[in-house]
Amino acid sequence: MKTPLIQCQQLSHVYSGKFALNNLNFELNAGEPIGLVGPNGAGKTTLLSILSGFLRPTSGTVRLFGYSPGAGQLIGKVSALPQDAKLDPSFTIIEQLVFYARLQGLTRQQAILEASRVLEAVTLKDIARNKPQVLSHGMAKRVAIAQALIGKPALVLLDEPTAGLDPVNVRTVRSIIAEQSSEATFVISSHDLTELDRLCQQVLLLENGILQPEHATASDQQLTTRFITLQMETCPATQVMAKFQVLAGVLQVTNPQKNEFIVAYNPDVESKMDLQLMQCINANDWHYRQLSHGKTLEEKLFFSE
Amino acid sequence: MHPGFFNHLLLISQFELKRFFATRKGLLSLLTFAVVWYFILLYPLRFAADMVVQGKGFMEGSSFFDFIGLSSLQHWSIAEFAVYWHFALFIFPMLSITLAADQTCSDRERGTLRFITLRSSRDSVFFGRFAGVMIIQALLISATALTTLGLVLYRDATLLSSALPNLLAITVSVVLAVLPFTAMMAALSAKVKSVRQATLWAILIWTFLAGILSILAYYLPALAFFKCLIPGYQLSDLTELSEWQTLQLAYIPLLQSLVLLAVGRWIMARQAL
Repeated sequence: MKTPLIQCQQLSHVYSGKFALNNLNFELNAGEPIGLVGPNGAGKTTLLSILSGFLRPTSGTVRLFGYSPGAGQLIGKVSALPQDAKLDPSFTIIEQLVFYARLQGLTRQQAILEASRVLEAVTLKDIARNKPQVLSHGMAKRVAIAQALIGKPALVLLDEPTAGLDPVNVRTVRSIIAEQSSEATFVISSHDLTELDRLCQQVLLLENGILQPEHATASDQQLTTRFITLQMETCPATQVMAKFQVLAGVLQVTNPQKNEFIVAYNPDVESKMDLQLMQCINANDWHYRQLSHGKTLEEKLFFSE
Repeated sequence: MHPGFFNHLLLISQFELKRFFATRKGLLSLLTFAVVWYFILLYPLRFAADMVVQGKGFMEGSSFFDFIGLSSLQHWSIAEFAVYWHFALFIFPMLSITLAADQTCSDRERGTLRFITLRSSRDSVFFGRFAGVMIIQALLISATALTTLGLVLYRDATLLSSALPNLLAITVSVVLAVLPFTAMMAALSAKVKSVRQATLWAILIWTFLAGILSILAYYLPALAFFKCLIPGYQLSDLTELSEWQTLQLAYIPLLQSLVLLAVGRWIMARQAL
């Protein structure tokens, strides 16, 4: 039987008498990136800290590849981007990355090559000989991601990899994850649901330290009711809803945000609902920005009935 | 203990040496130490040694060195080492408290320790940093002992053969004397949040705890045993010994270090990073 990538049983962690994690039980297997979402204080960072071996759980068991977090067997296999961790200001970036690579068992020469490779991957090779103080927030985050990629680990835990980054850096980080995800399984904690929607096939929702039983998946192809999310240019919302509602197969039309509509429909009645909707839009001389199949991750996780 | 433990120990201690000898902050500390030591060597140490050589401090009846509690100076065959021994026994433990205070606390607060513990066990980090700081101190002690040897040879070059065994004995004894201080700082650094806190706690332990234990031991003599766990417990006795005799009390700092390192390791294993 294949050993799960991550296995948590009755995992709890208590801070000052309050449950940060409450009896979590789950297993994750290798594959596409896995998202971890939840409101502030839900326990995401605590969970990732326990998985990374930075924190000992109050109770329960955790296994990564069958070993306890922090076990010697996991060196080089598991890596992480800890939230808000900074490099040592006394040494240059390359010196520290070479040191980390050497701790992972690489020879000095291999370590230098590996440190250059990961800096290249985050497009920061030019600043290798600088000290961490000269880095902007975005650059520091990318360097921290670079250290997580040393030695091509099989599991990479990223805690808020895009928090506080500008759109260009967010895009860079997203491409790094997309490029590397064929070689490693990423577990990504983030508040950016659009981000996770794009990257992850599976999303875990933590609320008040409790893992919600329904894990959102990106695909809803197997469901009897399907959804289309429409982003429109400025339009008369009431009329749009009325026109959509009368289309064959439409079960419900909602308008959760300004100029955004979610159409629930029965695919057995009308399988090409996207074409129906576009024809309706065209006939009424409205304009749309984006049409996507399924609900947004935000809708799935926080506003589903 | 995983298979790479000793390799990690070596890498981490090497990195500590690099921090002290190859970074701006480390070199500044080294320069400060060198300047301070230069003046100690040039004035108090040289003058006191001259006094010992000329016998000026040991007048009949009550001598100057008796008066300041350094009567054991006359037991040493080489005066400079006698004075060095007394200086070293107080300077290096003090230096140890400042030099070894930041073994893990700053890195833990900054989060750097997280990057390191992803690739190495907490034991390797704890003992690697301790070993690194001990090597730095051993190098500083050796360097100061060698400069003292230089002073001896400057006075009388024929003393070389008798000075070398003294040099070895004194270096080993001073290194052993700072061992428990470094272990205490390793344990404190694993727990507290800053260098300042580590230093404050060290001073509190060193002064108040020793005082409190002395008072309590007066009423309950069994508690006197715990005084021997306080680093520096043997220092006043050590000043009475000379040359190879100084190793007679080596078991005390060794036992203290073992206990303090065990406590530090326990703290490190449980500390959130």
